[in-house]
Amino acid sequence: MSAAPAEYGEIFDRGYRHYDGPRLGQAQAIWALARYSMARSLGMRRPWTAKIIPLLLYGAVAIPVLIAIGIRAFFPAFQFLDYPEFFGAIFLLVGIFVALIAPEMMSSDRHDGLLPLYFSRPIGRGSYLLAKLLATGLLTLSMSLVPAVVLWLGNGLLASEPLPALRTSLGDLGRITVAGTMIAFYLGAIGLLISSFTSRKSVAVGVIILGFVLSESLSLAISEALRDQPDLARWALVMSPSRTIVALVGGLFGEPELSGDVPLNAALGVMAAVIAICCAVMFAWYQRRD
Amino acid sequence: MRGEPAVALSIETAGLLKRYGGVVALDHVDLAVPRAAVGLLGPNGAGKSTLLKILLGLSRPNGGSARVLGHDAVADGRELRMRVGYMPETDTLPDNATAADFVGHMAEMSGVPRGAARQRAADLLYQVGLDEERYRLVKGFSTGMKQRVKLAQAIVHDPELVFLDEPTNGLDPLGREEMLDLIGRINRELGILVVLSSHILDDVERVCDYVVVLDGGQVVASQPLHVSDDDTADLHVRVDGDPSPFLKCLGEQGLVTRPAGIEYTSDEFIVARDGDGVLDAIRDAAAVTGTPLRLLRPAKRSLEDLYVDSVGTGTDGGRDRKRVSKR
Repeated sequence: MSAAPAEYGEIFDRGYRHYDGPRLGQAQAIWALARYSMARSLGMRRPWTAKIIPLLLYGAVAIPVLIAIGIRAFFPAFQFLDYPEFFGAIFLLVGIFVALIAPEMMSSDRHDGLLPLYFSRPIGRGSYLLAKLLATGLLTLSMSLVPAVVLWLGNGLLASEPLPALRTSLGDLGRITVAGTMIAFYLGAIGLLISSFTSRKSVAVGVIILGFVLSESLSLAISEALRDQPDLARWALVMSPSRTIVALVGGLFGEPELSGDVPLNAALGVMAAVIAICCAVMFAWYQRRD
Repeated sequence: MRGEPAVALSIETAGLLKRYGGVVALDHVDLAVPRAAVGLLGPNGAGKSTLLKILLGLSRPNGGSARVLGHDAVADGRELRMRVGYMPETDTLPDNATAADFVGHMAEMSGVPRGAARQRAADLLYQVGLDEERYRLVKGFSTGMKQRVKLAQAIVHDPELVFLDEPTNGLDPLGREEMLDLIGRINRELGILVVLSSHILDDVERVCDYVVVLDGGQVVASQPLHVSDDDTADLHVRVDGDPSPFLKCLGEQGLVTRPAGIEYTSDEFIVARDGDGVLDAIRDAAAVTGTPLRLLRPAKRSLEDLYVDSVGTGTDGGRDRKRVSKR
């Protein structure tokens, strides 16, 4: 009698097993939370309806870049989209993107009651916020920085002498990186702060968008009222995120007509201060233990 | 983790004080709880959830100290939370995630590497009876299934001790039975210490070996649940026929009797064992009155007796008893 063929199968013991493997530290927990938050914000492993708006926004940012690269390939003499124009064109989309993902990062956890579960894990409250800031920053960078870097690469590689062209435009890459990174964390921090105060995503989305619009109107009105005092009027402009971003881009790329007389250092300082204040307020808010 | 030497006590508190504004939620709580399945019992507002939050390091006490598994709950919270699990009372699951994704994610949050976390999530969901449903979105789950997911995430990282806050809340009788069976298995078969917070006497009685009763933020009882000291326990007596002559005879000999609980018939009662010779007195009374003696054994002290003695004897005892359910 021949032996039973091996493919007949195996018997698995599915009883409970204790876990004896490694336990990774705080950095692993922060990265795990950031990764999970990014995936949920983009609608991954969720119904297709959750994926539509992020995909549309990515498409809206990618299309002008692809067109610019296409024009550069076929009509080298024709300059379609420079970097200040690119940032001017996309920062509104980045704002909408932040209004979409920040509530998913913060408000959802409150709505679903996940905070007690997270805080009963080794991750601390500060680490929780760090993970959320990291997730929001990285996702927003994919909107504000990655397309600009693709544009820079396209411009360089399609030049008649690619390597020298890339080498001579390294300064542009640095400016693109500063602009993209500051925009991502500046808008991300504002969006996260607003979202951390409500468990309703729709409320957070509305407040973020309304906040951007109202701050623009308010800043314009105040700067107009202070027309006779240009120093003060200049500072009124940085009340608006969009004006601050335009000032940053104008200052970085040496286009004073964009910067609206706001010095580059002032724009950078205001953005850094807003990021720090948003983080400090969120930290204080989440330290409340009861 | 599990390789570390086990401390004798699972929970130890000294003078634990917690105030919310002018309200004292925990009033100098002293506990020394052994490594056992522990029931934390008390009416709503007794301070059970506050105590759990402090033991998990989620809330800071206003005074006193708390140690869990030998770790200071305030100063050493991170290390402690590596070794414990928590199933909260409230609804705490993301609707738009699958059970497998979420449980695996919570394992990663406790430091389990990604691959192992996914494997353990699948194993644990199988253990709690959600093998087939693990790739379904949580929002389609029944209350019982959600409770199972909450239980799975609480033990997916293989904790030494798991805090379960009202785990049978919202479950129908069958779901409640299944949940209590699961919790019993977690303790007996998996060797995970359980702290079960509940206001349902039966839940605690079925699962736990040790009970802590809280009332008004104070510990009113902390003791093993199934203690039977045959030499000193009161005596449970059942007789045939009319018990009046027998009871009268016992009374004449100075013995104190009381009904043997609301579930017993009137021919069953408890005789207090106030001194030596009580057994002889019962025998003599039965002989003198010609009353057939059907049962004579040490009385078991039920959790309900303990609870009534601890909480329900004051002026508002009736109100307290109503707030704690016996199912």
